Amino acid sequence: MAGGGNRNFNFKAVLLGEGCVGKTSLVLRYVENKFNDKHLTTLQASFLTKKLNIGGKRVNLSIWDTAGQERFHALGPIYYRDSNGAILVYDITDEDSFQKVKSWVKELKKMLGNDICLCIAGNKIDLEKDRHVTVAEAEAYAASVGAKHFHTSAKLSKGIEEMFLELAKNMIEKADSDTATRPGTGKNNRKSVVVVDDSTPSRQAGGGGCCGGGGSS
Amino acid sequence: MAAKKPTKLHIEASELLCKNGCGFYGNQLWQGYCSLCYREECQRAKVAQQEQDSKKMMKKQAEDADKASLFSKFAEKKTQHINKRAHTLKSMFKKTPTKESVPEPRAKRQVNKETQQIKADLMDYLKQFKRPTAEDFVKIVQELVDKLYQNADAPVEDLTDLVQDFYIKLGKRMDSHSLYKDLSSEDIDTLLDYAEKYITVKMYTSLFCPATCDDEQKDLQMQTQIRSLHWVTGQQLDTMINEHETEVRTLVDQAITEIIEVNSKKAPQDKLSCIVRCSKHIFEIIRQSKEGPACADDFLPALIYTVLKANPPLLQSNIQFITRFSCPSRLMKGEAGYIFTNLCCAVQFIENITHESLALTQHEFDRYMSGEAIPPQSGNEYMCEGLRLMYDNLKTLAELRQRQEKVMAEALQLQQEMKDFKENFKQEVQNVLIRMPLTIKPRKMKVNLDDDSESLDLLPSPLLPLTVDNVGMDTRNTRVRLFH
Repeated sequence: MAGGGNRNFNFKAVLLGEGCVGKTSLVLRYVENKFNDKHLTTLQASFLTKKLNIGGKRVNLSIWDTAGQERFHALGPIYYRDSNGAILVYDITDEDSFQKVKSWVKELKKMLGNDICLCIAGNKIDLEKDRHVTVAEAEAYAASVGAKHFHTSAKLSKGIEEMFLELAKNMIEKADSDTATRPGTGKNNRKSVVVVDDSTPSRQAGGGGCCGGGGSS
Repeated sequence: MAAKKPTKLHIEASELLCKNGCGFYGNQLWQGYCSLCYREECQRAKVAQQEQDSKKMMKKQAEDADKASLFSKFAEKKTQHINKRAHTLKSMFKKTPTKESVPEPRAKRQVNKETQQIKADLMDYLKQFKRPTAEDFVKIVQELVDKLYQNADAPVEDLTDLVQDFYIKLGKRMDSHSLYKDLSSEDIDTLLDYAEKYITVKMYTSLFCPATCDDEQKDLQMQTQIRSLHWVTGQQLDTMINEHETEVRTLVDQAITEIIEVNSKKAPQDKLSCIVRCSKHIFEIIRQSKEGPACADDFLPALIYTVLKANPPLLQSNIQFITRFSCPSRLMKGEAGYIFTNLCCAVQFIENITHESLALTQHEFDRYMSGEAIPPQSGNEYMCEGLRLMYDNLKTLAELRQRQEKVMAEALQLQQEMKDFKENFKQEVQNVLIRMPLTIKPRKMKVNLDDDSESLDLLPSPLLPLTVDNVGMDTRNTRVRLFH
């Protein structure tokens, strides 16, 4: 997927997290550097792109927002297939949202293995006094699953730039090591993508059952 | 816009049904029959043709026999030969897919026209490149088309592999081959687009909803599922679409029109742009109902709502077609890919919808699904335009009346206040008057000191001059005297 060989990288990163944890604010702060601003140039904040230049490597980062409502949880696999990275957002004042992050991580690991770079964002650190998820717990968990943990605040514009930059760097590393270990994987990768695309509909055809999890396991 | 829509939809719907009237959906490619009826129809035509052929042969045989029984041996041989030929012809018919075997002249010409148009565009575009480059490109594309023709009968997975392999090969070739080294990346993207467009439009009949897969079955299931979910309201999906606002209504109609349009386009990229245009309208709807840009939490429910209201024809087939034959780069990146993914999500959600996903009880859900009951909020969206307009106007009138009443009340209050003010003012003045009564004091008379008056008598008698021998004293006395 890092199409075009060494010319530039196209990465897809999905934003996962419960509703109201501030996914949209986070990405808007990153891409537009605005918070709760009524004069936004974008009509939507669900799909945004950002061009980066990291050490001379050009990166096109597409950020895919996902619907966070519980009723759409089963649709996750459709969203995050073929992603290079995932940002899992929780609200530090909301313990449930952190539990939700854990379940997302479990699912991502199951579906995509180690092919995906993970970042966990503890958002709303401007509300430190209402913190319900301890720093130690969150960081220990992130380390245990091989994810980077960041403390962010879209309101104060803290930690966001760093997080996306780190994620992009990780994704470049991953892409580089993939091409190094398996030269000419581009083709295979794409082919596998096609297969995945095909399998989804047949999963749909099965009907009844819940989508991703059951189908591919 | 809204008024036009029903007629447009009506035509589409009637077009969609199988000509045989079996209730299934037909397809233009199959002469307006559904796949089953079309197969039967073809079978019948084939049988008729064979019968005719054999009749002719029999006749010929008989004639031959009549002509010269001497040649009977030869005739027999000939018949055998003809039969053999007929046999091979028959097997050929069997081998090729039915829709290829009985070419429908009108439909074919139509396809050709469209293909020709793309071909002409492509040729125009290729003119800017060097001849060998253009020739190489055309050769590669043509190779795939030939391959697809040869494998037209193969299962759709094989066709998908063929096409996807082709995209990868073409992409790689254009990336690395010396013929293409002068091309900018935009040129390469455009060429890939053209390749995709040409192939899919040219081979549309064998690539879209092929007989080898069960897409049609899925289309029907989806259609039925959406129809039985007609009662789902925006509130149940947590969307803020307020269909009573004329502006929103228009946007919803536009979005619905776009998503229905998908089926009339042939190339995956054109289908995708319909979907993108549809979502643009949805984003606009969301923007009107809330502050700030739309996020996925708002977008997906709104898209689901639109799909439910639109019930787009052959939705599954179209999604499958795009997934199978679209350039992979398009589906992986870019807004179109994102929106298409959301559409897939919406379709899956609708397929697997349960009472929980609509926050209803199982009992309620079953009742609504079976048509026993209708949720209280729903129904309004099915009102005719005039009735809806009337309700809108009534609402506006009620609002106006309320405002008028408010104005009246305020005017009355103002009047009262003015009255009160007047009273209060009067009262206050009165109070002040009471508190400080007007007492007219006698005017002070100017007193002429030199005048004789009684009061003067009260004054002590003037001091008598004292005679002092002192000179100094004398002056003082003089002054005193003067004073008098």
